Amino acid sequence: MAEFTLDCLGEACPVPLMKTEKKIGELSVGDVLVVSIDHSCAMKNVPEWARKQGHNVEIEEVDDGEWEIIIEKTK
Amino acid sequence: MKEFFIKLGDHPIYKKLLKEPLTYVTGAVLLAVFQIAHFNVFEKGWGVTSTFAVWGTWIYNALGGDASGWAYYAPEKMQKELYTSFLVDGGSIRNLGIIIGALAATLFASQFKIKKIKTLRQVVAAILGGLFMGYGARLANGCNIGALFTAIASFSLSGWVFGAFLLVGAFIGSKLLAKYFM
Amino acid sequence: MSETNIGTSSGTQRARKQRKPKKSQIPYAILLTALIIAFGFYLGRGNNQLPVYWGFGIAFGYILQRSRFCFTAAFRDPCITGSTSVTRAVLVAVALSSVGFWAIKYASVLKEAETNLNMAGVSPIGLPLALGAVLFGIGMVIAGGCASGTLMRVGEGFLMQMLVLVFFIAGSAWGAHDMGFWGKFNENAPKIYLPDVFGWFGAILVQGIIIVLLYIAAAKWQEKKMGTME
Repeated sequence: MAEFTLDCLGEACPVPLMKTEKKIGELSVGDVLVVSIDHSCAMKNVPEWARKQGHNVEIEEVDDGEWEIIIEKTK
Repeated sequence: MKEFFIKLGDHPIYKKLLKEPLTYVTGAVLLAVFQIAHFNVFEKGWGVTSTFAVWGTWIYNALGGDASGWAYYAPEKMQKELYTSFLVDGGSIRNLGIIIGALAATLFASQFKIKKIKTLRQVVAAILGGLFMGYGARLANGCNIGALFTAIASFSLSGWVFGAFLLVGAFIGSKLLAKYFM
Repeated sequence: MSETNIGTSSGTQRARKQRKPKKSQIPYAILLTALIIAFGFYLGRGNNQLPVYWGFGIAFGYILQRSRFCFTAAFRDPCITGSTSVTRAVLVAVALSSVGFWAIKYASVLKEAETNLNMAGVSPIGLPLALGAVLFGIGMVIAGGCASGTLMRVGEGFLMQMLVLVFFIAGSAWGAHDMGFWGKFNENAPKIYLPDVFGWFGAILVQGIIIVLLYIAAAKWQEKKMGTME
């Protein structure tokens, strides 16, 4: 049940999504990944991808134009 | 006053209307409505990149070049473009509008942030990506808007052909991105 | 996907970094709106087209940003994750626009206007189109946005996209310069207008069938790659 972070600040699509996909693949079930992003499109497509994969997702707006996407790997 | 705006920004209706992203399909419907209206008013569909070529040529001329002999500017309609200026050119104003419209949307959502360039890789990607798109858009006579969205809506077969080859390019681009720009 | 705050089922109990003191950018938004209107009036002095161009630009930028609509993602995401939700949205936009364009073009023909709009937006199909599309496809994926997307992201404050825009403009001028060469390939390239081939009703029917088939293919592709059609 470890927690990992992934810094994608300043990255444009689709880099945050590709990094998240890769990182989630390395984690084990139950682990949590916190992705930091400031790209408004990634704030939509990263959670959307994770939900389609069946993971638990939460989005938190940590500052103006900056988000943390919290993904709990479920499978 | 500041408290008021923070409270306003947290109001559920405000959030629904001006903060939370609309669905892609909502965006599609709205774009279609404005695209049709644009065609009805101006008798031509929406385009973005031919204006970029004009901007580039203005700069080229300003730096001492002379583009008046280019075949691209031979037609009378294009020739005119060379000698107009930003504030009276509809295409330039429309492109500026896209930037400012997006800025307004971001500010209303309280999500504006300057996103800095962090790595050299991003610089290389920006330069190569920009050049490829610019050159490609001239060859194809438009971008995803002019050569795809507007062309298909205009019942030009070229729009579907553009889309097919664009997919090939996107596939190659995805492979390059994963290999060199990650 | 408008729900932004869904608790994870197990409830992530981790201690969160405290959110920085809340700021609101709404006052700037209101100020900018006032400036947008003022600039519209400025453009409107003695010109009745420029304010309309301005309004359309603002509307397109606003819609693109609010819905995160991205033509790049429509072609890129199927290659990367297999997701086709944006692809299908583009098909919806194209389908609806086709109906409107059809009506406007047909009306211009019915009026027997001297200059009907039949060939508006119809381009030749030749080598430059294919080559340009491939180059454009590579560029947009690497740069993280196409033309409209780059402009939209410049508005959001993306410095990388400002650099993209600079080189986009440079590349466009370079392309325009080389059109003297590439233009030769377009001399014999056909301009194919669907109503010429299938007739007015056939054209909208054929276009509709293409769009529906692509929509089904996109949904199937996502199901195959991601296990869900959603």
